[in-house]
Amino acid sequence: MSLSVARRIAGRELRGGLKGFRVFLACLALGVAAIAAVGSVRASIEAGLEREGATILGGDAKAELTYRFADPEERAWLERVAVEVSEVVDFRSMAVVERGGATERGLTQVKAIDDAYPIYGSVGLDPDMTLDQALARRESRPAAVMDRVLVDRLGLVVGDRFRLGTQEFILSAVLTREPDDAGGGFGLGPRTIVQTDDLAGSGLLGPGTLFATEYRLRLPQDADLEALRDDADRALEGARWQDRRNGAPGVAQFVDRLGAFLVLVGLAGLAVGGVGVSAAVRAYLDEKTATIATLKTLGATGRTIFLTYFLQIGALTLLGIAIGLVLGAIAPILFSPVIAERLPVPAVFAVHPEPLAEAALYGVLAALLFTLWPLARTEQVRAGALFRDAAVRAGGRPRPVWIVATLLILGLLVLTAAVFSGLVTLTLWSAAGLVAAFFTLILAALGVRAIARRMARSGALRGHSTVRMALGSVGGPGSEATSVVLSLGLGLTVLAAVGQIDTNLRGAIQRDLPDVAPSYFIVDIQNEQLPRFLEMLDADSAIETVETAPMLRGIITGINGRPASEVAGDHWVLEGDRGVTYSARPPEGAVVTEGAWWGEDYDGPPQISFAAEEALEMGLRLGDELTVNILGRDITGTITSFRDVDFSTAGIGFVMSMNPAALQGAPHTHIATIYAEPEAEGRILRDLAGAFPNITAIRVKDAIDRVTEVLGGIAAAVTYGALATLVTGGIVLIGAAAAGERARTYEAAILKTLGASRRTILANFALRSAILGAAAGVVAIVAGGLAGWAVTHFVMETEFVFEPVSAVAIVCGGILATLVSGLAFAWGPLAARPARVLRAQE
Amino acid sequence: MLMGGLERATDGSVMALGHDLTAMNEDALARFRRDHMGVVFQSFHLIPTMTALENVATPLELAGVKDAFDRAEEELGQVGLGPRIGHYPAQMSGGEQQRVALARAAVTRPDILLADEPTGNLDGATGEAIIDLLFGLRDRHGSTLVLVTHALELAQRCDRTVRLRDGLVDEADASVASAAE
Repeated sequence: MSLSVARRIAGRELRGGLKGFRVFLACLALGVAAIAAVGSVRASIEAGLEREGATILGGDAKAELTYRFADPEERAWLERVAVEVSEVVDFRSMAVVERGGATERGLTQVKAIDDAYPIYGSVGLDPDMTLDQALARRESRPAAVMDRVLVDRLGLVVGDRFRLGTQEFILSAVLTREPDDAGGGFGLGPRTIVQTDDLAGSGLLGPGTLFATEYRLRLPQDADLEALRDDADRALEGARWQDRRNGAPGVAQFVDRLGAFLVLVGLAGLAVGGVGVSAAVRAYLDEKTATIATLKTLGATGRTIFLTYFLQIGALTLLGIAIGLVLGAIAPILFSPVIAERLPVPAVFAVHPEPLAEAALYGVLAALLFTLWPLARTEQVRAGALFRDAAVRAGGRPRPVWIVATLLILGLLVLTAAVFSGLVTLTLWSAAGLVAAFFTLILAALGVRAIARRMARSGALRGHSTVRMALGSVGGPGSEATSVVLSLGLGLTVLAAVGQIDTNLRGAIQRDLPDVAPSYFIVDIQNEQLPRFLEMLDADSAIETVETAPMLRGIITGINGRPASEVAGDHWVLEGDRGVTYSARPPEGAVVTEGAWWGEDYDGPPQISFAAEEALEMGLRLGDELTVNILGRDITGTITSFRDVDFSTAGIGFVMSMNPAALQGAPHTHIATIYAEPEAEGRILRDLAGAFPNITAIRVKDAIDRVTEVLGGIAAAVTYGALATLVTGGIVLIGAAAAGERARTYEAAILKTLGASRRTILANFALRSAILGAAAGVVAIVAGGLAGWAVTHFVMETEFVFEPVSAVAIVCGGILATLVSGLAFAWGPLAARPARVLRAQE
Repeated sequence: MLMGGLERATDGSVMALGHDLTAMNEDALARFRRDHMGVVFQSFHLIPTMTALENVATPLELAGVKDAFDRAEEELGQVGLGPRIGHYPAQMSGGEQQRVALARAAVTRPDILLADEPTGNLDGATGEAIIDLLFGLRDRHGSTLVLVTHALELAQRCDRTVRLRDGLVDEADASVASAAE
């Protein structure tokens, strides 16, 4: 009964139009649109990865071996299960160009292929030709294709010659597209493609060199991928198996994580929008006090009144969400060319219903969360309000049942975010952070008001009427402080935190690391080359230090006889293969924290020294037995010591070290770090590469730049997310300014009556806007700085340095935003004639 | 409202204290009110974000008076609100708010005290107290009180009455005109 009456009354009330609800609709639509857009882009990428899974992977399935080729038995198994097998060898090397007595060198990621490559997709070349044509021998030399970046860096043109190791190649074309490019992950050098057979004389694929072989398979149509995976585990010792169902797991996981994180940032935007939504509903219901009182006089129950306004707000919520969904669905499609260009993976841009449904659900829950409280207060309006001062409004706390309902909705919203993002811990922390930020900002706003009130009353400001009046209105009743600090503060806080974290992270990598990091990281030094290598560097006065260590790679497959992942979960040490070394003595400067290093001549059962921090994280203890698969052979050793390993200096650091007797017999190479004067770096590289053509030198500064570049991209994505929050905050701010226009018009009329000029009044309005903006900025810097410190200190474990430039920019931004929004609504009050304004209030 | 320069005349001219208000712009009118006029409204029209003391001190501050707050405090004492100077309008009764408005209008010692239905929103007893205060302020400061009212008994306390009906002067008591001047 009351529902149908409420529906009819709500319909009549909505005939008044949407004038008071522009901010409501904008906030909700923008919040939902941001989340829908992020979700849609994520779904587009996932759809792209799924559709192109086999192409990205290079086959229906792929087995990757580290450091070795498949033995005949393994190769036979691969031939048996597949229709076609392609063998690809991947390793780093130096491309060398001799030109007029000068030598140019560039780090490259070499892909050595066979005739079957590529099983799926095609390689793009410039000039246009097939890969077979490009790699056909010419001038009795093998040919190669190379990424344009490296071609340009080395100053090559098609037809030029270059060397890989000791083998000379002719550049036959520029590589413009690799079908399986996205699956590889983080590479330090641009790509060069050659035929594996052509490397026979290069000296690059000797025993112990660092390379990976991939066996890409075209499978029969009816192949059972799940069963094949189990068979591969048995047939291929120590191989990493992947199939087309997850062609680029690294990329997929990265996109998934970043997408989920950005949705959380989007939720912060929705929370800011919630402030505007709540304020709009409160303002609307305040205006409706007389209507509510009249309805009550006419016999409407509290339930009917609640339903009447719940239905109105509900209808508007659905409208806002619908606008947001349309925007969120269309934006990624509209911007697909721009987005696709920046993506390393293929994406299918289309309307994806799932992320839209997710965004709609967030919209409904957020709207409920922020409107239930003001809606519930309509119950408190009494019929008597009609006969008293019109200023009597519904205020105070609603009934406990509504408070409980609001808390339940909050819980449901957090639960939904946790389920959808799959990042439970991060969601909970984010939610806790958001709620804490909300209360901190409210407290800060109260603090700002108290300080402003105190200052307005201080004797020092007497006579400075403009400042005193501005402070008085910031501190006094009806102040906009809370809404401004909340709406602007949250967006600015996220931005400040991103700014501080980004600067500290980049600082740690770009500024501090080069001070302690070596100049070069050298890999693939053969055993017999090591003495000459050391001798040469010892004689060089520009070199400060050289450190070398034997280098093998192994996968931890078992802990105390059980599969490693069962014991230590998905710890990073278990992800793929890790470097393993051996040493008779503890490395120089190493601190053994527990247990003892083996004796120098020890040749008993293998013993292992493990990195202390990682051991603690993985739950390892002294005496535990680790099975490590090295070159397809399982070596089981006992952990006899833990030691501190500092990975932050980019020096040589191994998670695992074994006694020499355990590993010395296995084919292996050595790695070295060279610490040299920066001016001598170029010469040292020339000398070394000339003497040892097979070695690969990685300039650490280049690697640092590459890492910084990736981090910059992530920081930019998060900044865009924070900007969406800020735009929503801006709309809330405009809403608050618009809502305050009537009060300012009234105030301006009184001030004019008392003799204030328009300039004085404008200065007063501008000053209070600036005070509120500055307050929001300062609060954001403190809160963002705290968040930045926490992340830097606890997560990155580096020293926190406060970054002042972004902080000042944020305060200025806050002031500018409030000034613009405040002054945009100041002209009306300034122009209004006092008599009309004051009479309207009579 | 025309006399206070709060409203513009659509035709003719408005002269007050020898000034042609119709020739002044908004800011000149504001300065004119600041220097010569105190206005009391039916609905008090206090600035809600300011305390009683700040409301009363504002016109003095706008006029650049150094001891604005001391004088405002003194004026509030005169209207019996000494203990309430730190309160905001919303924390005061209607009668108290109108007393603050009276103090604010009188604190600049204006030549003209313009009161537009000052008791319209008050009960009888409070209204009477306000009127007593208003006439007391007039006597103390020597201002000309221009009172707009529907209450005949109140009008009779004035030296001169001008009756307006539908916007036109209906009847003027010329006998006391000289006293008013």
